[in-house]
Amino acid sequence: MTLIEAAELAVRECVKLGVDEAEGFAQTQRMVEIVLERGEIQSERTKIRRGIGIRVIKDKSLGFAYASTLNTRVMRKTCRDAFKLAKVSPENPDWISLPLPKKVPPTPKGLYDEELANLAPDEILNMAIMGYDAVRSTDPRVSIDDGKLSVLSTEVAISNSHGISLEGKGTAVSFFLVCIAKEAGESSSFAFEYEVARTLKGFSTERVGELAAKKALLSLGARKVKPFKGEALLSPDVAAEVLFQSVVSSVNADNVQRGRSLWADKIGENVSNPDLTLVDDGLLPYGLGSSPFDDEGVPSQKTLLIDNGVLKNFLFDSYTANKANTESTGNAVRGGYSSLPSISISNLLVKPGTKSLEDLISEVDRGIIIHRFSGRVMTESGEFSGVSKQASYIENGEMKFPLKETMISGNAFESLKNIVEIGRDRRATMMNIYTPPILVKEINIVSK
Amino acid sequence: MELRGQSREAFTVTVKDGKVERTSHGLNKGACARVLIDGSWGFSSTTIINKRSLLSILKDAKSLAKSSKPKKKRLVKIASVQPYEDEYETPMKKDPRRENLEGLLEDVLEADKEARSYSENVASTSISLSVVDDSLYFVNSEGARITQRIVRCFGGALIVAKANGKIASAYESVGKQAGLEVFEETPIREAALEATERAVRIVPKRVVPGGYVDVVLENRIVGLLAHEAVGHTAEADLVYGGSFLSGKVGRKVSSEMITLVDDGLLPQGFGTMKYDDEGTPTQRTVIIENGVVKGFMHSRETAIQFRVSPTGNARAWSFEYDPIIRMRNTYIEPRDLTLEELVEDVKDGYFLRGGGGGQADFNGEFMFSIQEAVKIEKGELKDSYRGAAISGNAFEVLNRVKGVGEDFAVQVGVCGKEQPNYVGIGGPSLRTEVLIGGS
Repeated sequence: MTLIEAAELAVRECVKLGVDEAEGFAQTQRMVEIVLERGEIQSERTKIRRGIGIRVIKDKSLGFAYASTLNTRVMRKTCRDAFKLAKVSPENPDWISLPLPKKVPPTPKGLYDEELANLAPDEILNMAIMGYDAVRSTDPRVSIDDGKLSVLSTEVAISNSHGISLEGKGTAVSFFLVCIAKEAGESSSFAFEYEVARTLKGFSTERVGELAAKKALLSLGARKVKPFKGEALLSPDVAAEVLFQSVVSSVNADNVQRGRSLWADKIGENVSNPDLTLVDDGLLPYGLGSSPFDDEGVPSQKTLLIDNGVLKNFLFDSYTANKANTESTGNAVRGGYSSLPSISISNLLVKPGTKSLEDLISEVDRGIIIHRFSGRVMTESGEFSGVSKQASYIENGEMKFPLKETMISGNAFESLKNIVEIGRDRRATMMNIYTPPILVKEINIVSK
Repeated sequence: MELRGQSREAFTVTVKDGKVERTSHGLNKGACARVLIDGSWGFSSTTIINKRSLLSILKDAKSLAKSSKPKKKRLVKIASVQPYEDEYETPMKKDPRRENLEGLLEDVLEADKEARSYSENVASTSISLSVVDDSLYFVNSEGARITQRIVRCFGGALIVAKANGKIASAYESVGKQAGLEVFEETPIREAALEATERAVRIVPKRVVPGGYVDVVLENRIVGLLAHEAVGHTAEADLVYGGSFLSGKVGRKVSSEMITLVDDGLLPQGFGTMKYDDEGTPTQRTVIIENGVVKGFMHSRETAIQFRVSPTGNARAWSFEYDPIIRMRNTYIEPRDLTLEELVEDVKDGYFLRGGGGGQADFNGEFMFSIQEAVKIEKGELKDSYRGAAISGNAFEVLNRVKGVGEDFAVQVGVCGKEQPNYVGIGGPSLRTEVLIGGS
């Protein structure tokens, strides 16, 4: 049985049982993973995941059940389970409807790579080893703590009782390494480097190995600084984590409607430095979070969130859009067939500025540059606090020395207003946030 | 060669702001094969369970073992383990298979109602309960044949409070490896209320000031220190890779007041199992005794490298993963001080409460999140602050321990080390020094 046949069968079964509305989300994932530990291949696995999640509504009450098989008998039972749960659940007065069919845009370029989908486990193993060897050949002082190469190909099918019936497929490849450098009895901090893409075009495990090794070396000879308040130059990963996680939470319509967003009543107001323009683009070619339709079958789109510092829009799925009497922005995302949809970004794009990383460093009077953040971000309140790993001290526009035992703290909403400069070179981070490095001021730098 | 099978049934109820967001029932079923050929592992899994499919994953695992062998630098040997034929089931008073799970909806709705009516500053609630019922099957070519049924009941409450344009959240959880009696012994209502009280209390407050200070860590967060900061450095695969504890057996690494254990047999422990996923019986493994390193956590593979017996720490999240060395229930043992006694000698510091997530590097450098900091002045508890992240080197922090409490508590946790897994984390409140990443 194909995925779409399974999804449609599930919907028909549920309708026969007497539900008001039904939705089937069927998915197959083929995953090959090569796990490196201590610089050795620790394991390699091929996983095939296949299953269906069934959502039904009866008298405004929701039931959900899933199974890791598309076996007809099990699917029928799963439909009955979902229906049974809907019958015992109290009604949700806010429920209006599952989405209705709409015209879906053409599939953006670069979401599926036939060559990547058909790579043999042996070829994938070779790619991982090339990344591993690149670390050693860059510098013998560097060793690998751990790493992983994952190749994923996914197919989905969504069907609902209003007539949505859609199929899609995609590929993704990711590789990361954590390295440590050792010299004369001293160890560097752990350096993290990665690459993630939808296709093999331009993807290089060797580049990851080389960059990870260089990063590890950069943190040898670390020193402490006295606590101070100063500028922080956030690498794309740190900017994504520290600044934009709180943005992602605050533009989520579910949080807005539930009183969990400080931006609930701020549409049209300034929420950041005017240099910041932010777009969620579900149709970005080669985009990590791109797809012609979301995980409820609603067409994907481009949504302007912040325009030169002014808050413009929130992100909706069909439930929150119905509640607010507006249209879904196509941002319903599922973790897999066993999850219900919830609101998430597709690709969050920060509009780049004009300055290179070197130019940004040269503008810092007194501050630090941070490549890795290990800490806590309270996305509702914007508070962040954590250890600056792979960080260096900057004074009078020059990198002075790597830092150890240094923490930073601040508030993302204040930092958005305290942006000094947005850099030029944008990177696709693992969180689907595409951002250049960002220089912010008035960050608390805490140390012993 | 070994074959594992698993059937996981999961039931979840989630209520948000008084509305039932989710009632779900799920089934995940599958099997995997792991083979060791001439020192090289191969692994393959499937969700299709019939003879043909099982033969096919065995074949895949064999061919992976052979094809990857030339690329592996170290050849694997494994310690011998007596092949057991046994059955085990989580001791339960109320087996979820014989009970009406829909009744849990009432518990969650009641907790939600109580939380929302506590204060007008409660802006939003998310409360859920889950029952995860695993049936695990293990056979290997040495003759082992083990069936285990592990039932875990757990839940959590995330409460968001809002006042004067400020927002704060707090989280509390419940959970044990046991039947539905868990939800009677530790009602979700109480956890939700505690989180609510905290969120409402800290919403008008400022973030705790930053700096290196004297602290009393609440029992519930000491487990994070035990697991995150120390535990990982005692996993033999990481020890082999050069972790902080590498080469330190018999050496003193912390205050004499510290005894740290990873226990596979703890009654109702979230990470308790009779056998691990290699068929090795689990045990109570002492890592640090009165400050001195006693041993590490092992799989069959690392046990032979270290010339010791396997400790039953090889665990896999599901049939889709090969077993790796994981903690089970990791805790610091209690001593004799009351909380008042721990606090009374602190001139200027904080009582840190309510845990969050954490991370650690294998050199013992850790950070974890705390929800609330209560100021201590001349031995007395004063005003509350919002929490922050704290960091340090675990062994420095444990060397500076000045007192260990009597108030032992174990929490549930999900640890991520390449693959997730359920663990127990615990300890008593204790007094030490840390760096707070505050304002």
